Amino acid sequence: MKRCAKTTYGLMALAGIVLAATGIGTFALGSPPMTHWMLMAHVAAAPLFALGIAGVALTWSGCSTSGADSGLTTAAKGLLWIILLCGLIVMLSGIVPMTPVFGTRGQHLLYLTHRYAGIVLAIAVLAHAPMVFKSRARNVD
Amino acid sequence: MLEKKIATRSRLLRAKALAFLAVSFLVSLPRPAQANDLATESRGPYLHNIPLHDVQGRVISPPALLSDDGKPQDAKTSPYSTAQTCGKCHEYENISQGWHFNAAQPNIKPGRPGEPWILTDPATHTQIPLSYRGWAGTFKPAEIGLTDYQFLTNFAHHLPGGGVGDPAKIDTADPEMGRMQITGALEIDCLICHLSTGRYDHEDRFTAIKGEDFRWAPSVAAGLGTFASFRSAGSIADQWHPGRPVPSTLPAIKYDRARFDPDNNVVFQVTRRPPANNCYYCHTSETALDDSRWHSDQDVHLRAGMICVDCHRNGLDHMIVRGYEGEAKDRTVNDAMVALRTRMIRRDSSMSEDEARTRAGQQLESEQGEIATLSCRGCHMSGRLGSPKLIHRGLPPIHFEKLSCTACHSGPFPASQPAFVHTSLAHKLGLPAQARGKNTAPVIVEPVFLYDANTRIEPYKMVWPSYWARLKDGKIMPLLPREAAKEATFPKQETTDAPRDPYFSEPFTDSQIQHVLQSFPDDAAKGQAVFIAAGKLYRLDRTTLVSEESDFAKPYAWALAHDVRPASQALGARGCSDCHSGDTPLYFSTVVARGPVDPTNGISKAMWQLRGKDNTVASVFAFTFKFRLLLKCIVFSCSFIVLAVLVHYGLRGVGTITSSKSQ
Repeated sequence: MKRCAKTTYGLMALAGIVLAATGIGTFALGSPPMTHWMLMAHVAAAPLFALGIAGVALTWSGCSTSGADSGLTTAAKGLLWIILLCGLIVMLSGIVPMTPVFGTRGQHLLYLTHRYAGIVLAIAVLAHAPMVFKSRARNVD
Repeated sequence: MLEKKIATRSRLLRAKALAFLAVSFLVSLPRPAQANDLATESRGPYLHNIPLHDVQGRVISPPALLSDDGKPQDAKTSPYSTAQTCGKCHEYENISQGWHFNAAQPNIKPGRPGEPWILTDPATHTQIPLSYRGWAGTFKPAEIGLTDYQFLTNFAHHLPGGGVGDPAKIDTADPEMGRMQITGALEIDCLICHLSTGRYDHEDRFTAIKGEDFRWAPSVAAGLGTFASFRSAGSIADQWHPGRPVPSTLPAIKYDRARFDPDNNVVFQVTRRPPANNCYYCHTSETALDDSRWHSDQDVHLRAGMICVDCHRNGLDHMIVRGYEGEAKDRTVNDAMVALRTRMIRRDSSMSEDEARTRAGQQLESEQGEIATLSCRGCHMSGRLGSPKLIHRGLPPIHFEKLSCTACHSGPFPASQPAFVHTSLAHKLGLPAQARGKNTAPVIVEPVFLYDANTRIEPYKMVWPSYWARLKDGKIMPLLPREAAKEATFPKQETTDAPRDPYFSEPFTDSQIQHVLQSFPDDAAKGQAVFIAAGKLYRLDRTTLVSEESDFAKPYAWALAHDVRPASQALGARGCSDCHSGDTPLYFSTVVARGPVDPTNGISKAMWQLRGKDNTVASVFAFTFKFRLLLKCIVFSCSFIVLAVLVHYGLRGVGTITSSKSQ
């Protein structure tokens, strides 16, 4: 696997940790919605995550097709597409409210979409990462 | 056909005769008037061509044009009583429980802090916020030694009557309240609000009230006649001593005969929906001062053709909807309201008194919830009165949790400093006087953005108390202006300067404050003489003047809601930077404590400080908005890449599936 693919995956995972900690953390433990420093940390990590996931899309998608002989399991391949799909939803539902397109109802719907797509994305990344490490270890062996 | 008409006419005549008999019977009833439940129940106005009644309940019939010996005579007789005249059909006692009249009544929930009465005295530079409702930051009149009667004489110019002006019982032994045996009570003057002709003369009412002609004020103000004496009731009361018999010959009203029809009925053009101009007498709030009034756009709702009472409604009980969120829990369901509703329930049902009372209480409690739809949010969410539905494109919903509607939509557009505002109650607007300047006491500013009870940012009006006081054992006792003037020597205004500055708004200098404090006699029993102004407490440390920020000098603030600006002029209409920038008034506007001292001596704070917050978060958050465009570009570009990859491989997958099937 190329260094570029590893770097983008690492960037996505690291930024994802910050996003999950601030976003899901506030949802689960604090009082949503996020405000102040928490919101600023979340928004600061967002472009890094966006760059990371775009990189992952470009570098990992080829080896995650059904016929690709990349050493990844079918589950890992499937999870990557879930990560990309949820990532797209999360990014758009996060950025579109910053444009004067949707009114209050739409904004609220986007907010909920962002929240729950984010949770699914976090679970998918959590499940995908160990599989990637395992397959890498197998390749090294 | 003709017979039918005659029969109808005779039925009408019979009905009129019966009504006349009924009214004649009621005339003989003594006070308190008992409304006889006559009602038209129509949306159309009832022609109030009605007899006037004096305070004893007697029908007022002016003497004939010529006396028995053929000499012309004036139409002089007693003033009319609103309690007796309007109270014949309307529930005067019940109405007197309404929000405009119930401030001094016990067991009334105070509700959200509102505009106080501000006791102002130019000579001593005093401005003390007062309220019977006990709002934090105000004094109850009794707490500073102001009696109900003194309160009345100070503020009746904008009191609609009732309340302390119309006590249930006059204490004849009280040297002040006892005067009401002569001056009469200041009854609720229904016409202040309900006269639809615009011919209610507030200036005449004010003149009458200045002379303590309380009983005569409604007749004079309604233009029914003129005060027919050279001596005011107040001056008669001055020469009377409590305990002595009340003079039997009190001034009369010289009625305008043209107002009476042959049956001594008078037409009152009244309306259930008072026009905004009637409300404006007491509820004007103007920031476009001096000659700039023409810049004012007025409230967007009024511009759209609404009137105040479209939202600020009331039932028979006159508990006007104030219109703020959460008002329902602040409203009192009192005995008078329950009694009225009980009577209405029993009219339609054979329910027992107790059952009806329980039902009435339940009904009234449940109705409280309905007023929520008359708040900004309630109306615009429900679409009442065709109100535009809330859309707020591009505004994240968190703003509705952090801001009240009024924060963005009400009051003057915020600037680097709050604007000076004049209000009817504080500045006697509506009464002719020499032009008031921006420093005319009391100095009030708006908008100041503070937290409301739900920690949402909301715009407020703000006034800083200013008074001379005695401080003892950590407790402060404000001195009424007359007491302060008795105890100490105050700087006098130059007579040559009076025409230029009729309100003596020249601030006190430190040395003047020092001299006044030194002129107070030392009295350990009363405590140390101090001066409160512009957020500070001034006192003498031996002979040196010391000033420090003090809780006693904290400003009093009350939420503002009008004038409402249109959406295109709301905060945020120009973009996020209206609030999220390094110099946004919402956080960084400077609020200088105003009062009768040099503003540079007063306390000065930024909005965020007044809210007790740290400005770092606001500053950093505002700074991040510089990168907002970059963020959007990055995330949209990355989203496009991910989307392209998904579409590419998606289509490839579909192609693979379809080709394998075809093979």
